[in-house]
Amino acid sequence: MKKSLHPLTMWICATLLAIGVVALDNASVALAMVGAVALLVYIRRDGSPWQRSFLLSLRIGATILGIRTIVGILIGVPIPGTNLFTLPILDLPSWMPGIRIGGAVTLERLSFSLHEGVIIATMIALFGAATSLTSPHKLLRVTPSFIYEVGITLVIATSLFPQLATSARRIRTAQKLRGMEKIELRSIAIPLLEESLSRSLQLAAAMDARGYGISRKRSRYRPQPWLLRDNLILLLSTVATIAMVTR
Amino acid sequence: MITFSNVSLIYPQSTKTILEDLSFQIEEGEMVLVMGETGSGKSSLLRLINGLVPHHTGGILAGDISVDGISTRAVKPGSLAHLVGIVGQNPINGFVTDIVEEELAFSMEALNFPPDVMRKRVEEVLDLLSLSALRNRSIATLSGGEQQRVAIGAALVMHPKVLVLDEPTSALDPIAAEEVLSVLHRLVHDLSVTVIIAEHRLERVIQFVDRIISIEGNGDTSIGTADEILKRSDLVPPIVRLARALNLSEIGTSVRDVRRQTEEIRNSQYSRPVTERANHSTAIEVIDVSHSYGEKSALKKVSAHINHGDIVAVMGRNGAGKSTLLHSIVGLHSPDTGEVRVNGVDPTHLKGADRRRSIGYVPQEPSDLLFASSVEEECLLADRNSELAQGSTATLLNRLVPHISLHAHPNDLSEGQRLALVLSIVLSSNPDVLVLDEPTRGLDYRAKNLFANALKEYASQCNRPVLLATHDVELVAELADRVLFLAEGEIVADGTTLDVLLSSPAFAPQIAKVMSPKPWLTVADVVHAIEGSQ
Repeated sequence: MKKSLHPLTMWICATLLAIGVVALDNASVALAMVGAVALLVYIRRDGSPWQRSFLLSLRIGATILGIRTIVGILIGVPIPGTNLFTLPILDLPSWMPGIRIGGAVTLERLSFSLHEGVIIATMIALFGAATSLTSPHKLLRVTPSFIYEVGITLVIATSLFPQLATSARRIRTAQKLRGMEKIELRSIAIPLLEESLSRSLQLAAAMDARGYGISRKRSRYRPQPWLLRDNLILLLSTVATIAMVTR
Repeated sequence: MITFSNVSLIYPQSTKTILEDLSFQIEEGEMVLVMGETGSGKSSLLRLINGLVPHHTGGILAGDISVDGISTRAVKPGSLAHLVGIVGQNPINGFVTDIVEEELAFSMEALNFPPDVMRKRVEEVLDLLSLSALRNRSIATLSGGEQQRVAIGAALVMHPKVLVLDEPTSALDPIAAEEVLSVLHRLVHDLSVTVIIAEHRLERVIQFVDRIISIEGNGDTSIGTADEILKRSDLVPPIVRLARALNLSEIGTSVRDVRRQTEEIRNSQYSRPVTERANHSTAIEVIDVSHSYGEKSALKKVSAHINHGDIVAVMGRNGAGKSTLLHSIVGLHSPDTGEVRVNGVDPTHLKGADRRRSIGYVPQEPSDLLFASSVEEECLLADRNSELAQGSTATLLNRLVPHISLHAHPNDLSEGQRLALVLSIVLSSNPDVLVLDEPTRGLDYRAKNLFANALKEYASQCNRPVLLATHDVELVAELADRVLFLAEGEIVADGTTLDVLLSSPAFAPQIAKVMSPKPWLTVADVVHAIEGSQ
């Protein structure tokens, strides 16, 4: 097992870098950052279920980039420059002044939209990486105890979510082997719902029986120490952020 | 330690009383078994002990329950955490953290124990349950028996006086079950922990328990020593059926007891009955099949032939490759190398109605196939799928298990009834081959018997093969003609049930242990041999 960082390290680091990326506003640096983070996630993969959240964040980022670009092409103020192509202008009623749909699409306008999309996608990827590198259970353990009260919901959600995918696959397999070729929502959703409901009840009962929520204060079995490595990573990301902000 | 006085329990929106006027006392250091048919209220009784019923589930409770002098009525289940440890049937559903050590510490953290006490107690439990090699492992990667031990450990760190376990061995292979039960035995004898356990497979636990609480299902309950209860009960392990069949003066609960009483029978000479099996043609061919998941290889060059009319059991420890072999045979995936033929056809190409007619498959969780809102609707759907006359599936179901209400929701059926429903749906399309993945988890003896008869009838009347993966040695002894024994993805034994089961002490059924070295596996075998020689 690889030694883990303090659960908060990655989150602080991601927040700092996100600030830096926004302040610097440079798409190529942002893309390089996504690449570096992807490499880090790849190196530290351990097959845990929350690891998949990085891929999910990349997908969300790509979707946002696409939407931002399409909206940028269709709507917006004209930016003068090299004309790429011209879309027909949509006639809008007179009570909507200042908004134009369609019209000339310049290289500058396209690159501006792409640029903005990349920055947003990078921020999402950074936080996606933080989620995928930190066990939600460990994160819960360092959060203060009044937040921990919300914890029971989180514990159930984080332990049920990966199971949900496995169960759905199992049910689908069983039905395929019964010769049911079409995927029907009802035939999968009902067994799945019944199973996850009974599972969450079981988990809640188990936590109840083991004394969860009885004591207002909570002790820690093995406090996660804040190590030199955490300091180093934090220092590096702070320096990087300052460099990006002051430029 | 535990006192039930005049306890009755009824769940909301239910007309059936689960327990009625139940009174008993359990002393410190006793091991008590709770038995009864599926759905009779065993789990409810167990969960009454720490107050999960009715605090967590709702329900109306009359009478009073006290544990070590504390009434469960007055406090929440969590406040009894230091007194009562509870371990569920499926421990993986109750785990809160992802590392073994953290899971052990969870209860103590929640109750704000000082760190040095926690460290000491975690070490203690790791040693007591031989878990120290696993302390840093992720729980999801542990085997079933190891997970069960972690769950027991997580309860033991609180130094409870009472340990409650709901079917702790039902998902385990015989060897892992033995591990768990010997741990319990040690807790009772060395630490005087009071243990209350519910279990269907009485043959596994009966020799360890001091007393039995038997729930009859109609609200009646009796409590007494193993001898007293088993003398009258219908749900009895093979060893007691043997004692009844041979008219032994005493009902023994351990192999040793009954062996002493049957010395005479074992020493007489009997002609070994020769059962002739007609030579059948091959139905399923598995040729050099290998399969792996990622880097882990699950099957290594497995070859087997299964004949028409044979009932074949696939056995082996958890993770030995049983399910993978079945999945290859039903055509869920094409194997990495080698090939599978079911009646000459590659099963991966089967689809829709063709698949239903060729291979009937009952999955590990039978309820995966159920999604209608009533039994009747489920049966009609099966009729339509197999183009049968309306009501055929319902008739079949009625023959398997009489008196199932057609208006009941599939989710409200007992474990055995649900399996019967799925079995009749699968059989309604009259498949050429029947494959079942661990079908008897959570079934009592009566349900298991009905199920075994249904399979025998299908195999002999239609001359079709049945293939089932199972841990249940007693079922295999009653039912199977042949056993394939898997270990680490390889077939290590392939032969008649008699040869395979007798050669492995861990997988030998109770009767075989009692009657060793005579080659008898079931009560019927013994009776048959004695009658044949008279």
